[in-house]
Amino acid sequence: MSILVIAEHDNDTLKSATLNTVTAALQIGGDVAVLVAGSDCQSVAEQAAKISGISKVLIADNPAYEKFLAENMMPLIVELSAGKTHLLAAATTSGKNIMPGVAALLDVAQISEIISVESADTFQRPIYAGNAIATVQSLDAIKVLTVRTTGFDETAVAGSAEIEVLATVCDSGKSRFVSEEVVASERPELTSAKVIISGGRGMGNGENFSLLEAVADKLGAAVGASRAAVDAGFVSNDMQVGQTGKIVAPELYIAVGISGAIQHLAGMKDSKVIVAINKDEDAPIFSIADYGLVADLFEVVPQLAEQL
Amino acid sequence: MSNYQHPYKEANFVIGHLLHFDQFCEAHSWDEINTDFTAVVLAEAEKFAVNYLLELNRQGDLQAASLQGDKVCETPGFARAYQQFIAQGWPSLSATEAYGGQGLPNLLSVACNEIWQSANLAFSLCPLLGQGAITAIAEHGSETLKQQFLAKLISGEWTGTMNLTEAGAGSDLAAIKTRAEYIDGEYKISGQKIFITWGDHQMTDNIIHLVLARLPDAPVGVKGISLFVVPKFLLDAQGNPAAENDLRCLSLEHKMGIHGSPTCVMSYGDKGGAIGYLVGEKHHGLGYMFSMMNHARQGVAVQGLGISERAYQAALEYAGNRVQGRDKAGNSMRIIEFADVRRMLMMMKSGTEAMRALCYYAGFKTDQKAAATERQKSALQAQISFLTPIVKGWCTELTQELVSLAMQVYGGAGYIEETGVAQHVRDARILTIYEGTTGIQALDLTHRKTLSDKALQARQIFKEIQQTIDDLAVLDQRCYLSRALADALGDAQEAVSWLLENPDQGGSVAANYLQLWGYLMGGWLMAKSHLAARQQLQLDAGDSDYLNAKLVTCKFYTQHFLVRTQACLASIRAGSDTIMALSEQQFFSHVN
Amino acid sequence: MKVLVTVKRVIDYNVKVRVKADNSGVDLNNVKMAMNPFCEIAVEEAIRLKEAGVATEVVAVSLGPKACQEQLRTALALGADRAIHVETEQELESLNVAKLLAKIVEIEQPAIVILGKQSIDTDNNQTGQMLAALTGMPQGTFASKIVINNDKALVTREVDGGLQTIELNMPIIATTDLRLNEPRYASLPNIMKAKRKPLAVKTVEELGVTLKEHSKIVSVNAPAERQAGIKVADVTELVDKLKNEAKVI
Repeated sequence: MSILVIAEHDNDTLKSATLNTVTAALQIGGDVAVLVAGSDCQSVAEQAAKISGISKVLIADNPAYEKFLAENMMPLIVELSAGKTHLLAAATTSGKNIMPGVAALLDVAQISEIISVESADTFQRPIYAGNAIATVQSLDAIKVLTVRTTGFDETAVAGSAEIEVLATVCDSGKSRFVSEEVVASERPELTSAKVIISGGRGMGNGENFSLLEAVADKLGAAVGASRAAVDAGFVSNDMQVGQTGKIVAPELYIAVGISGAIQHLAGMKDSKVIVAINKDEDAPIFSIADYGLVADLFEVVPQLAEQL
Repeated sequence: MSNYQHPYKEANFVIGHLLHFDQFCEAHSWDEINTDFTAVVLAEAEKFAVNYLLELNRQGDLQAASLQGDKVCETPGFARAYQQFIAQGWPSLSATEAYGGQGLPNLLSVACNEIWQSANLAFSLCPLLGQGAITAIAEHGSETLKQQFLAKLISGEWTGTMNLTEAGAGSDLAAIKTRAEYIDGEYKISGQKIFITWGDHQMTDNIIHLVLARLPDAPVGVKGISLFVVPKFLLDAQGNPAAENDLRCLSLEHKMGIHGSPTCVMSYGDKGGAIGYLVGEKHHGLGYMFSMMNHARQGVAVQGLGISERAYQAALEYAGNRVQGRDKAGNSMRIIEFADVRRMLMMMKSGTEAMRALCYYAGFKTDQKAAATERQKSALQAQISFLTPIVKGWCTELTQELVSLAMQVYGGAGYIEETGVAQHVRDARILTIYEGTTGIQALDLTHRKTLSDKALQARQIFKEIQQTIDDLAVLDQRCYLSRALADALGDAQEAVSWLLENPDQGGSVAANYLQLWGYLMGGWLMAKSHLAARQQLQLDAGDSDYLNAKLVTCKFYTQHFLVRTQACLASIRAGSDTIMALSEQQFFSHVN
Repeated sequence: MKVLVTVKRVIDYNVKVRVKADNSGVDLNNVKMAMNPFCEIAVEEAIRLKEAGVATEVVAVSLGPKACQEQLRTALALGADRAIHVETEQELESLNVAKLLAKIVEIEQPAIVILGKQSIDTDNNQTGQMLAALTGMPQGTFASKIVINNDKALVTREVDGGLQTIELNMPIIATTDLRLNEPRYASLPNIMKAKRKPLAVKTVEELGVTLKEHSKIVSVNAPAERQAGIKVADVTELVDKLKNEAKVI
């Protein structure tokens, strides 16, 4: 088997999602190469070369790849797929943007967001927002996969693979990067945060979310919200955790004033440890919480910020 | 706060399989209207209710409308919901197409009203009153009145109110004192009206009041009352609201429930007389009001249905989550596992289903009448008139029992306002009172609907019920439902005979007579539902889980509600015997 | 300018999903179905483009069993001008959907195709991208803003960590993210009108697409159930447990 992993990076730093993806590749087994496509990304290739267990790093360094536009990335990956059995990328917005088109051009399916490798052609993936787990067998010669990073540990970084420079340049000219607006937040983003504290309708209003921010500051956590809180207009919907919002699986998820509607649970129940704070002891959230605290959030959340 | 989901399977079953709506549409060549269409409309109605009205229900309860100066300020948030309500065109649903209405069947209107009322009774009363104003002007108003007011009432741009009650004229409208005088070519209205639902608010730029008043030359009593359109703002030459009319809200009532619905004391003519426009002919106002009475009264029954459904869903959710006690193996139990909680839930489920069947059945009669030949029309009108007091009186009384059971399922938590079920109990309490108390409905049924035609209409219904009993027996010789329904029919027949023989005791037996009819009609429609569900199951069509549950609720209804006809009959037979036996002093015998 | 918008019939997002006893899939028998929420956003965007005078016609398309026509009718009631239903009883994998849509694109020649970024049943998040690859149209996925200026489109995308704006040569494929817009409700008069709007039914054979099986579902299982943990008495105990027992802080 011959596997190509598409590295996730920002032309400067290799993102840890790549390490989770390589773990999935190594579980499949065989030769694993990593593609670093970007612009001025030599240092990323050097970081990638240290990933344990891989055979080599391919670097495609050209301004056309700087912003990972799907139109330019797809033909490059398709070209490199010759002789490969598996193409993997992390299920980040970048991986999700690029890989389905690669699959289509190869006339194969993509198996999205795998959370486990059963065999070289069989994988598990969540469907219905994680309310069911499907075991899917690929019938294609080339398996195109995106990998949910929370499903796999990070590979160790103690190797020294060779770096091979590619000369291929694909610039479709159909799309052009204009600008980006990186959310200037001290806090991590929801989907990659190790700790998340979320508020629900029980927060009462948007201002009260500052109580959660105080805790988040102490823990380096991201702040999320339930759909009820978003619908009530407390906070904007990019903070929504749930079936139609963001699906998260941090190490620690603290649900504050959230009753635990199915659609919210669907978005966070794979978190490693769940804490629920709610004054209603019958709130469904307690049925999935590792630690429940039945109390008035306005009393205990400030205490929590203090004691951390 | 409890959630609410529209019982769409149930609504679609009643409309499609109990009432055979598609056959009706086909027979009248309504090519664009059928059960697929009603299902789509109901789904949209649910979306609006869930996303706009649910949250405001509690809000309205906690923060009632308030009087600021002369202005009534509705609960915050209601105006936004109302704007969305009219943006979606809901007020136009069953209104006449000539003035921008959609001309859709009353049955669909009833089914939509159920949804609004489940979600937020206080809010839904505003458009409901508008529907009354629309009907009054559309059926009895002059062309000028229609031109001026109808389109904007139908679009919901303006709302409407009904001004009947006065401090001295409640159940007896003959005592109305509000005056109308014809001065310089205009009618000037002056007087005070009470209990005016949504009499003022700031959601729209005009409110159209329909006011009952007496002209100086009017005959005494009910025959001397005229009906006027009295707008909050008089219209300019372009038909837009301009000068303020001489009317205002004097005060708001502090009510037990439906806090979100402002109940106004309205004063007309403080500065010499509010300008009004006569609807139809002089002195015929009460007749016009009564022509809408059946519709309005059935509408209140649907309110009971709506709240009962909502309360049931709340109780069901609570019972499924609340953990209390342990089973023999030591596992903790949810209260839904206890038989008595099951019994209460079954009472609510089957009672609500019977109510829905009856409300939709009666509401559909209006559509059948509209589509009928002249000769059939009068027969259908007689049926509607007969059904109305039963539908109103029985459904709203049963609602009291069911919402009370919902609170019972919650136990102590239900008595605490935060859980929300208490609001349903409080909101529901008005339903047996307004639009004619249960006592008024019962007297209407005994006297005007039974004794006056010597039970002709009652016997027509008996024939239909007998047919269902026979149908059930054909299906299954020893059918439980068939026997139970036959017993209940026997009770009703006896009650009718007793009443005919003892007309002077009608007032004493009226309440029980009405209840007997209610349980019987509910039982009959549940039996027909049973037949429809069995047919669906035999055809292997539809949702077998739903249909099998239906068979059980039909049977439960028979075992637990239909049997109450026996008790009603026993009390009827007692007549006035003890009811009128005590002297007034003897009512104080325990204290004096 | 024509907009093609795709609509998928899925389980209503409020319905609790039950895995079938034989683990062959999820029980969809008699459960409430609705338009995929991301497709609602797509329909809304298409209608807004028409209302803004950018688009002249909105065509809604859905693939699947006859019942999909319910969702197409909803799209028509929301403001789409006509609908195309590709009727098939077969389960369609994303790539097959993309191939069928590519055929529709070839016939209809839209200037923009708007799809939901993913459906809430299979959660694949791939059909739009596949369609872009098959048609050679550039893609603006996970869009939170779409601006069309003659032959170019500016698409702002929700990417990890923020927003990215790209410029695409028309015609384009866009997939919707949550923040793109807030879908409207169908009005009663529009529901009435929708009944008279054209809805064309096509078959897979007519479109000349050969469906291929690329993967198969071996089994579907309920996720491992989380057990309820313990109740702590106060914040001090909570912090202690998180530090010393769970070791997450």
